[in-house]
Amino acid sequence: MSLTRRQFIRNVSVTGGALTLGFQLTACSGKPLQLGSEADFQPDAFLRIEPDGAIILQIPKAEMGQGVVTGMVTLVAEELEVHPERIGYAMAPVHSAFADPEMRLQITGGSASIRVYHEILRQVGATARETLVAAAMQQSGLDRASLEARDGRVRSTDGAVDLAYADLVAIARALPVASDVALKPADQWQWIGHYDQRVDAQAKTDGSARFGMDASPDGCLTAVLLRCPWFDGAVESFNAEQALEHPGVVAVFATEHGVAVVAEGYWPARQAAGKVEVTFTPPGGGLRDSAAITEALTTALDGDDFASVRDDPASTEAGQGTLVSGRYAVPFLAHAAMEPLNATCRLTEDGCEVWVGSQAPDLAQDAASRVLDVPREAVVIHNQFLGGGFGRRAAADNVAEVVAIARELKRPVKLVWSREDDMRHDWYRPPMAGAIEARVHADGSISHWQHRIAGPSINQQVLPVMMGAMLPQWIPGGPRQLVGDFVGKKDFASVEGSKELPYQFDGVSVSYHNVQVPVPLGYWRSVGHSHNAFVVESFVDELAHAAGVDPLEFRRKHLAADSRERRVLDAVAAAASWGNAPAGHYQGIAVHDSFQSCVAEVVEISLVDGKPKLEHVYCAIDCGQVINPDIVRDQMIGGIVFALSAALHGEITLKNGAVEQSNYHDYQLLRQTDTPPMTVVLVESAAPPTGVGEPGTPPAAPALANALFAATGERQRRLPLRMG
Amino acid sequence: MVAFSLNGRNVELKVDPATPLLWVLRDHLGLTGTRFGCGMGLCGACTVHLDGAAIRSCSTPVSQAAGRSVTTIEGLGGDHPLQRAWVEHNVPQCGYCQSGQIMSAAALLASNPQPDEEHIRQAMSGNLCRCGTYHKVQRAILSVAAVEHWQPAAEDAS
Ligand code: FES
Ligand code: FES
Repeated sequence: MSLTRRQFIRNVSVTGGALTLGFQLTACSGKPLQLGSEADFQPDAFLRIEPDGAIILQIPKAEMGQGVVTGMVTLVAEELEVHPERIGYAMAPVHSAFADPEMRLQITGGSASIRVYHEILRQVGATARETLVAAAMQQSGLDRASLEARDGRVRSTDGAVDLAYADLVAIARALPVASDVALKPADQWQWIGHYDQRVDAQAKTDGSARFGMDASPDGCLTAVLLRCPWFDGAVESFNAEQALEHPGVVAVFATEHGVAVVAEGYWPARQAAGKVEVTFTPPGGGLRDSAAITEALTTALDGDDFASVRDDPASTEAGQGTLVSGRYAVPFLAHAAMEPLNATCRLTEDGCEVWVGSQAPDLAQDAASRVLDVPREAVVIHNQFLGGGFGRRAAADNVAEVVAIARELKRPVKLVWSREDDMRHDWYRPPMAGAIEARVHADGSISHWQHRIAGPSINQQVLPVMMGAMLPQWIPGGPRQLVGDFVGKKDFASVEGSKELPYQFDGVSVSYHNVQVPVPLGYWRSVGHSHNAFVVESFVDELAHAAGVDPLEFRRKHLAADSRERRVLDAVAAAASWGNAPAGHYQGIAVHDSFQSCVAEVVEISLVDGKPKLEHVYCAIDCGQVINPDIVRDQMIGGIVFALSAALHGEITLKNGAVEQSNYHDYQLLRQTDTPPMTVVLVESAAPPTGVGEPGTPPAAPALANALFAATGERQRRLPLRMG
Repeated sequence: MVAFSLNGRNVELKVDPATPLLWVLRDHLGLTGTRFGCGMGLCGACTVHLDGAAIRSCSTPVSQAAGRSVTTIEGLGGDHPLQRAWVEHNVPQCGYCQSGQIMSAAALLASNPQPDEEHIRQAMSGNLCRCGTYHKVQRAILSVAAVEHWQPAAEDAS
């Protein structure tokens, strides 16, 4: 979606002589945006410069470690001609001006933030700069050609005029905002592609960074919630006599979400919660155990009730060549971000304020307004740093819970989830089963690729909730669920990364069967790509071996000569010295496109006493123009650590409808000692920037599985992988 | 009443002596730099120093701190050599685990000013990072170990 500047910055109101300009992309109404003071120069919703020269950028996306604050600040700094560290930042309030122009919601996901905002934010910087220069022209009487903006000042070429931006704020705010401003050409960039610091590093190093967990409005109490262990239960009865006697306990009561125990601090609340006896309504029917869910997925694969999402006919006849086939399976996964979920609420006269680290503050606002039955505008969301998100913090269950507690308590309260709560009440990455087959021909060609996928649909559950926040509040839930059910039949999230198979095989078909489970599902770093890359790139390896061709050569041969996939494969192969691994080392390779970026990885292992050991991971990414090279490398490494944690350990299981895992001892993550060295290659590109936060994750599991095959000759088709 | 030294100052408070030090720091004393991650000694997010040694404050009753000296991330002062290295190397991603990482690293350097990579990996293996910043953590510690002999005595001078 490209925007003309006229659509992009426009005058929305003139009130009391003060000019307020807004950035409006949607026709949504909403409260006028009030940020800063009337004395500020505020060319649009994103940026303001205060009379003392302070520059503040509103960040419309959540900072959960992916570096979006630094990226956005850098883009503005480049055009505004200031050092990135001179730009202060704030998490944007909920407002239509900050809704993602593609998603129409203020959501951080799909690795889309920089892709969607890179041009908009450069325009924000350039427009402010030119308006400040216009102010300098007015002040000095000089023309544009005699003035230059640099380092937060406007100077004349002869040096006679030298004005700080602060000195120009008063004039600039009365001027019409500059229009049709040209952006700097790439060869003049000072920061984009070069700046390699993080602007939030200091706060995250000295303990001062504020996460949701740190919110503490005056008089704030702490609540913990006793939830039903199975997902469809409610509180039937409870006995709080003993808990109420516990020192520091203020109240114990039931809400629609469970039994809340409120105390002066987390520790007394948690101790007292252990003394509450609760009876929950018994679990309903349906799939309640992991074994039953696995069986349902297998049964679905054996059936023929599939919705086709891709069906390219083959030009060769069926039945020729050698048939190769495999069945793959992946489990439920938890997000397990380091900061357990939490949220803080204070009731106000007409609604409430909520402090939370959220990937979707407008969904949080919607959830809170429904609990209190007030208009959305009566809910103010203060978004905080997120102690990890990975998709989990797009849900607002924690917000609905705390608002319901505050509604009864009528005092400010912070709800803190324990690690066990977080593990057992996640919105899980769904399990998936895949049956895949293809025919290998004597000439090395491949035909009749058929991939059938069976598993639950995330979007069937999540889209109705999102639509609730987009549509007028009075629209009932029924029609929204119908849309969810409709989308669920061919859920794009379940087939992404399979449907777009980049290989030039003769006849590709992909189909999906939705198996509903009574478990909350959510987006997990790279979503459908997290399982489809494993299946597709493992099976491509199977085909390479069946054809007797080197796995790298096999991929290259079936990819277009000038494709991005081939470029990143070549880059990673060179970095890894593919084919020349040290003696006793074994390599596996995988390439995958996701979020419009392309990543290839080589995992290298050795066998120590017959047990596989991770030796090195190599990665090459093409994500278009890089804004901050260090952050891109860190996102690749972080995405690989995330993927390898899942590939080696990740598995959530259910018994009687409840999650069996509870903490980091039975849901393990890679540790410092488990993490091998890594090398990341950034493939140079001048194309517009694409995703970075998620694309590093998908290729790691198949690359490891392929390395294990190279080392042991055994093909593992289930995650987590067995290491010896 | 429990009394101890916190970042060089004496504190005295009325609290259930079984309360983990973590919650005394966060809820009673308002020092939120020390993080809650697992509550079971599994993740290291809550790491602080007790008489200079790294401990898991989520699993340490405040009574154990009585009469002793506690240092938290706030007590490192913000420009401790490790903190400077952390900023220079852009270690944090989400940042949530980093107070604990830094406190573990500071205790390591206090006992072994020039650890090698393997020492660092072993000493830091109790600190989980879901964002996967392990390499950066290692590199930042190595950079300090290589160039500076940090004086552990400086820790309490606030
Ligand atoms: S919170 Fe103490 S070790 Fe995890
Ligand atoms: S930086 Fe996010 S958990 Fe370590």
